Amino acid sequence: MVAAKKTKKTHESINNRLALVMKSGKYTLGYKTVLKTLRSSKGKLILISNNCPPLRKSEIEYYAMLSKIVVHHYGGNNVDLGTACGKFHRVSCLSIIDPGDSDIIKSLSADH
Amino acid sequence: MVKFLKPNKAVILLQGRFAGHKATIVKNFDDGTRDRAYGHCLVAGVAKYPSKVIRKDSAKKQAKKSRVKAFVKLVNYNHIMPTRYTLDVDLKDVVSPDVLVSRDKKVTACKEIKAKFEERFKTGKNRWFFSKLRF
Repeated sequence: MVAAKKTKKTHESINNRLALVMKSGKYTLGYKTVLKTLRSSKGKLILISNNCPPLRKSEIEYYAMLSKIVVHHYGGNNVDLGTACGKFHRVSCLSIIDPGDSDIIKSLSADH
Repeated sequence: MVKFLKPNKAVILLQGRFAGHKATIVKNFDDGTRDRAYGHCLVAGVAKYPSKVIRKDSAKKQAKKSRVKAFVKLVNYNHIMPTRYTLDVDLKDVVSPDVLVSRDKKVTACKEIKAKFEERFKTGKNRWFFSKLRF
């Protein structure tokens, strides 16, 4: 499945929404905690960077398929995703537990 | 949004002696217990898979090849890969956490699980569960 080329406009809006989640919502960063939220079905949205190793990406997608949680393939690598989260480290996958004031979940579910 | 680590879920163990073996969840402990402060579950699985039976096998040989050896184990959720399959065998009354306290209780529980697994294998259902995962 080839992801459609993300236009600059929607990409920036995802970044804006992600920044709002970081400020007002609950999230976890990193593979181990993402799997934890998937197992307990606490996660509402999973974001995976594009340079996440394919085995790990498939594993997260499989868990999300079982728990019916939306997965979004972020249009950028782990460096970009870390920057989008406002962190100074790389983030390969993250899980949004509570979006706070952001409408990121509604907007991404509408796309899917 | 859907909890999938429920009893009767087929899982694959990833670590330990039974890595790569298939098992079914009997009981979940999502929040852990005092002894094990992490999410874990009690699983009953296949220790030794039944061998391939061919047409020219005698009845005695077929019976011998269709044997299943079972195990009971408490496994961390991190050491488990859930699958989309389920195995609807009622093991709740046979297997409980106090089975693992003493060795002879464990052996009798494994014998009963073995009987139930063999019975299910002979019906030809859940073929995926009783086939060895090759890796």
